[in-house]
Amino acid sequence: MQIQLENLVPVPLRDKIMQRSSDIWNRQVTFTPGGFTKIKAPSGTGKTTLVHYLYHIRTDYTGQVLVNGKTWDSYSKDAIAGMRQEQVSVIFQDLRVFEQLTALENIELKRVMNAAPYCTAEKVKEMAARLNVTHVLNQSGKTLSYGERQRIAIIRALVQPFQWLIMDEPFSHLDEENAQRAALLIAEECKARNAGFILTDLDNDNRFAYDTHYNL
Amino acid sequence: MMPSFYQLLKKIIQTGIGKARLFMAAGGLGIAMILLLIAIQAHTDFDQLLHNQRNANESADFLVINKKITNAMMGQNAKSEFTPAEIADLRQQPFTEAFGFITSNQYKVTAAAPGELHFYTDMFFESVPDSFIDVKNDEWKWTPADNTIPIILPNDFLNLYNFGFALSQDLPQISQETVKALPMKVTISQGLMTQEFTGRIVGFSDRISSFLVPGSFMDWANSKFGSGQVAAPSRVIIKTKDPSNPLLSKYLEEKGYTTNQDKIKYSKTKLIVQMIVSVIGFFGLVLLAFALVVFSMFIQLVIASCKKEIQLLVTLGTAPRQLQRYLMRQFVPLYITIGIVALLLVAALQWLASAKLAGHDMFISQWLSVGTACAALLVIVLVYIVNRSSVSRYINAIS
Repeated sequence: MQIQLENLVPVPLRDKIMQRSSDIWNRQVTFTPGGFTKIKAPSGTGKTTLVHYLYHIRTDYTGQVLVNGKTWDSYSKDAIAGMRQEQVSVIFQDLRVFEQLTALENIELKRVMNAAPYCTAEKVKEMAARLNVTHVLNQSGKTLSYGERQRIAIIRALVQPFQWLIMDEPFSHLDEENAQRAALLIAEECKARNAGFILTDLDNDNRFAYDTHYNL
Repeated sequence: MMPSFYQLLKKIIQTGIGKARLFMAAGGLGIAMILLLIAIQAHTDFDQLLHNQRNANESADFLVINKKITNAMMGQNAKSEFTPAEIADLRQQPFTEAFGFITSNQYKVTAAAPGELHFYTDMFFESVPDSFIDVKNDEWKWTPADNTIPIILPNDFLNLYNFGFALSQDLPQISQETVKALPMKVTISQGLMTQEFTGRIVGFSDRISSFLVPGSFMDWANSKFGSGQVAAPSRVIIKTKDPSNPLLSKYLEEKGYTTNQDKIKYSKTKLIVQMIVSVIGFFGLVLLAFALVVFSMFIQLVIASCKKEIQLLVTLGTAPRQLQRYLMRQFVPLYITIGIVALLLVAALQWLASAKLAGHDMFISQWLSVGTACAALLVIVLVYIVNRSSVSRYINAIS
């Protein structure tokens, strides 16, 4: 799955963006499949907006996001759902955990969404153990702390097959040690799938061996 | 045991929100279904009643049709004849299954009893196609080489003689067998030409009130003794599946034709029953439409109340198709339950009605008709299709 940007400019940020230079906005960008891509973005430059454009949950832009050479709009809703189950996974900054489900059920929901789950229930337990969230698995989503939610959201993103993982400040609520563990797990899972990722964050970091750096 | 995807969806998409609406829709659907099924079942039952009252062996009935003789027509025989256009019209009516002419003789016929009986009379012959005759008999044939003519008498004729004439005139009553054994001297003539035959009664008909001879004899005699022209028929016979068909009696009335009124007397009753059944069916349909609207509102409410959850599910990759299938899976058992309950209720009614009517010597099936069961299935399929389309419409609107 190839993702390309063509002169992408968010309509609400147009004036601001035109006043400064960016590696992403209003450019031709091709994300190399299988590559680890870091996009560094100070607050207010449209980091989350970009993630939403890449994942096609917002469309208030000019220019184009091309997936396998075609715009998102040219895919049907069911086709997009298929891609979100098989080819592209996401970790949102606002985590988006169902509060009426337990932590484990949140992960299960994503795992069994595919008729043939990519990984086993044991694998989920194993990942939970690596991220130190085993003890909260049966807690309701409502009672989880942000740090716990973030780790659940990470595991949820890793239970499906994907070629691209899109992450929006995935470690923002984690302490250094947990962030390191999560990064290690993510890198392993990406390698296992020969998948690449696009990670946006505020600062520089060296948690991953990035192939490409962009400044938003 | 890990919950399945649908079990997880059940925790997220609460369908309990519009309970009142759901009950209304389900109740409406149930009543609509019962009304519709009763209408269809009543229709079948009434048909069954009519057919049972007739000869069970006969699946069709035969009607002899002629024009009504009015005072204005008297003396003008041609006015009672059917024109080719009228015949063509009658032939193409939906109730006409088969059609035949009744051919009259164009010559004089006299009959005399043999021996000492001193019975002599002028008479007439008619013929109809063999397929319309209810007397099956090997002797019923004639060729120009035969000197014996087979004749079929109306049953009524013998009854009139035996119970009316014979009793009052102090004459002996005669059995069918005796009549069949008596050879009659039949003379047919036209002007100076005459020919004598032996007439032999081969059967008695309940269906056609006339003196019938085989068509082959009639054609031969008409060409030899008659004017040579084919006369227009004034009586025709039709075969019809259902003489109580209101369409038939309406047609006869409009055209000024008459037939054996006894046979079509059920048509009025049938008309009234059909009207009542139609009204019930109509209310059933209206109610069904309302039930569908309420169902649709319920679905809209459920989806609107879970809008955020559904949007997040779609964001996470749930296909609209999966959501649609999940929601339909919540409703389908309800439809099927309603369908089964309605069918059982109507079946119980049918059973009761059949028991009650049997007490009055009217017999209808104890069981539901196939048509009724099919109608129930059809309604369920209709509700399914309509609801499925509203589910997919509302989901698509928010995803």
